[in-house]
Amino acid sequence: MPHMTGKIIVGEHIMKNAQEFLSGAFSLELLYSFVIIVCSLMIYFGTKEIYELSNHKGLKYFRRAFLFFAIAYFFRSFIKFFLVYFDASTALNLSPRLFYRILGQTTLFIFIYFSSMAIFYLLYSVMWKKWKKEKTLIYLLHAFAIFLSFISILGKNPLIYLFSNIILFFFALAIVIISHKDKKKSHKNNLYVTYLLLFIFWILNIIDILIPDFLKTFQLLIYLSSSGIFLLILYKVIKNTGTN
Amino acid sequence: MAKRSKLEITRDILKIVQDYDGIKPTPLLRKSNLSSSRFKKYFSNLLNKKFVKEITGNDNKKMIFLTERGLKFLEKYKTIINFIEEFEL
Repeated sequence: MPHMTGKIIVGEHIMKNAQEFLSGAFSLELLYSFVIIVCSLMIYFGTKEIYELSNHKGLKYFRRAFLFFAIAYFFRSFIKFFLVYFDASTALNLSPRLFYRILGQTTLFIFIYFSSMAIFYLLYSVMWKKWKKEKTLIYLLHAFAIFLSFISILGKNPLIYLFSNIILFFFALAIVIISHKDKKKSHKNNLYVTYLLLFIFWILNIIDILIPDFLKTFQLLIYLSSSGIFLLILYKVIKNTGTN
Repeated sequence: MAKRSKLEITRDILKIVQDYDGIKPTPLLRKSNLSSSRFKKYFSNLLNKKFVKEITGNDNKKMIFLTERGLKFLEKYKTIINFIEEFEL
């Protein structure tokens, strides 16, 4: 059974009909996206009150990161689901092959942009005090996320995109470790481990989308682990905000 | 004495207003341990955020009172600080 990931849609195995589209692996992907979206939105809205009271910049970027995760995962699966379920290709008078190609490329572009920006915002939330003098940095990060999205849909070889993401991962890793060491927290805080796991699973998610066969066996494990990390962050947010 | 963060300064000013249940601007400036210019900046910010309100009395003198929103900030202050520390923001 083919894994219904973004690259499959834009690649050679274009799906024949909506029934196949909604079966097996795609249902799993839909469920996975649903969990991530719900967790992200609960984090976003759960921190609304403390952000509005404090106007703290770190909180602002932290919340934005999870809003961007929610948007990214919405486009990853749900938008495909809605458009195919309601058969938008007929309404738009397009051939199914062209329709799936446009749909796949567009959702992939949006997913890469929003998920990259989510990671950048998460990094920014821990580094904003050091980076606040660099006013243009956030615009550069947006530009870089757009660039990554473009090479992911225009590049013939997904390995180029994968390689650029791995470089980005090590960059994110270095920032989190440096930030954690600088802050010298004495209390038992394993947040940086959570963030590192989040970055690792972000890379695995990208691989899963761009090179589906590469991690076919571990797809369920990736979905479960990624959901687990989001649930852990949600638990920490609920515990610290007292949100019911 | 360690440098206070913006949130700590906001909390300190609001706490003074709460403890006095209405205070004039000059004693508030003195008790806040801020320079006049910094105090003005913080105070206008508190007014804009509706954490405090200024009421002019019959003797034409201004008094500063805590609002519901200001009280909410004081109640949530510990939560905000714990959250920022927990997530290293």
